[in-house]
Amino acid sequence: MTDVIIKIAIVDPSSIIRSGLSVLLKRLQGYHVHTFELNSVEFLVNNIRTHKPDLVIINPTYWGLIDIEKLKTENKNSSTHFFALLTGAVDEKVLETYEEKIHLYDDVDSVKAKLDRFFDILDSESEEFQSLTPREKEIIVGVVKGYTNKEIATNLFLSAHTVITHRRNIARKLEIHSTAGLTIYAIVNKLVELNDIKQR
Amino acid sequence: MQHKFTARTRMFNLINDDASLLSSVSRFGISLGLGEKTVEEACKAKNIDCTTFLAVMNFLAEENVQPSDLVENISLETVIGYLKNAHAYFLNYKLPIIREKLNDAVLENERLYSYKVVLLKFFDEYVIEVAKHIEYEEKLVFPYVMNLLSGKENLTYSIADFEDHHTDVDSKIAELKNILIKYHPTNEVNFKLNDVLLELLWCEKDLASHNMVEDFFFVPVVELIENRLLKTKKA
Repeated sequence: MTDVIIKIAIVDPSSIIRSGLSVLLKRLQGYHVHTFELNSVEFLVNNIRTHKPDLVIINPTYWGLIDIEKLKTENKNSSTHFFALLTGAVDEKVLETYEEKIHLYDDVDSVKAKLDRFFDILDSESEEFQSLTPREKEIIVGVVKGYTNKEIATNLFLSAHTVITHRRNIARKLEIHSTAGLTIYAIVNKLVELNDIKQR
Repeated sequence: MQHKFTARTRMFNLINDDASLLSSVSRFGISLGLGEKTVEEACKAKNIDCTTFLAVMNFLAEENVQPSDLVENISLETVIGYLKNAHAYFLNYKLPIIREKLNDAVLENERLYSYKVVLLKFFDEYVIEVAKHIEYEEKLVFPYVMNLLSGKENLTYSIADFEDHHTDVDSKIAELKNILIKYHPTNEVNFKLNDVLLELLWCEKDLASHNMVEDFFFVPVVELIENRLLKTKKA
């Protein structure tokens, strides 16, 4: 099963709450969470710019007036989500800009359910983890032999776009993203011989 | 804010408390045989900026807590020295050792010959990538920053370019680790290979913390100086 890797920035002045939430998030099944703990919202802009967190969990009790819409437009390339961390009563109006709320007494399951709505965690039981399709194996052979996507497409009578989609699926299934890594996989599984591999 | 280690912490306690800090300690140029020296004394003996040393140690020990008020007082010379030592450690010491162990762990029999060839090729390509990353920093970024410190500005470069360039060198080592765990083609227990895997795990962590030091103690400090120079120019 492939864990979804997500980066989460936690913004709260209390280090007990930050650390506690951080520990809970690391326990979530199906996720590999990396957290950044920020004790003040002033570090958030920089954090978003350099680390591009997938999720920001922020306590609006202290920074209710933070302009999330502005933060989002300033970082157009990032798809950062914003959750509110509620440790007390907060004006409902303030919460409107947040996509989800995490309460101080939420348990692991409910936090997971809230994250699941925003991040695609793949079902480990699903077919696609079983094995590669014959077509995908053909594509791996092409990649490993040093052909370009276009050449592979021509050889297999596919569109270049389809080849790219296949390659993306292969990378996800095998957790191998580089050509050198695919070469190892292809050799181990006898998809190619050493002689087949172009000297690049 | 109160931090874990202070200038009066004994070096022995710091290392004993969290042995994973040892590699960082040595990157500051501090060696073992520390006796009863405190952090302050050990830094003084090696002419290292104590504030910077403590900021990095506390940051690594407390795991990812943003160093807040510290950026102002960080010594860039000390940070650059630290980063250079880390580069030398990975390139000239750690990675060659892992390669040797990897070579040693996969037996060269007929069946595994091809596997071994491509595995080592993967590793060698990874090392080339690391070397490129390091060369870029040492030949371009560090000299630029040293010039900046002496008041010379260079309008053709800015640390923002470095942030763009700073791709994660550690993703490939994670891939090698995954390949060994998932696809290693024998079914005998191989202690030597386990050792390689542990080395890779450690190296992956170590490289990640190296990148964190760059992200939190190098880039923001350089940005601060750039902005100051810009302001004085305008004034």
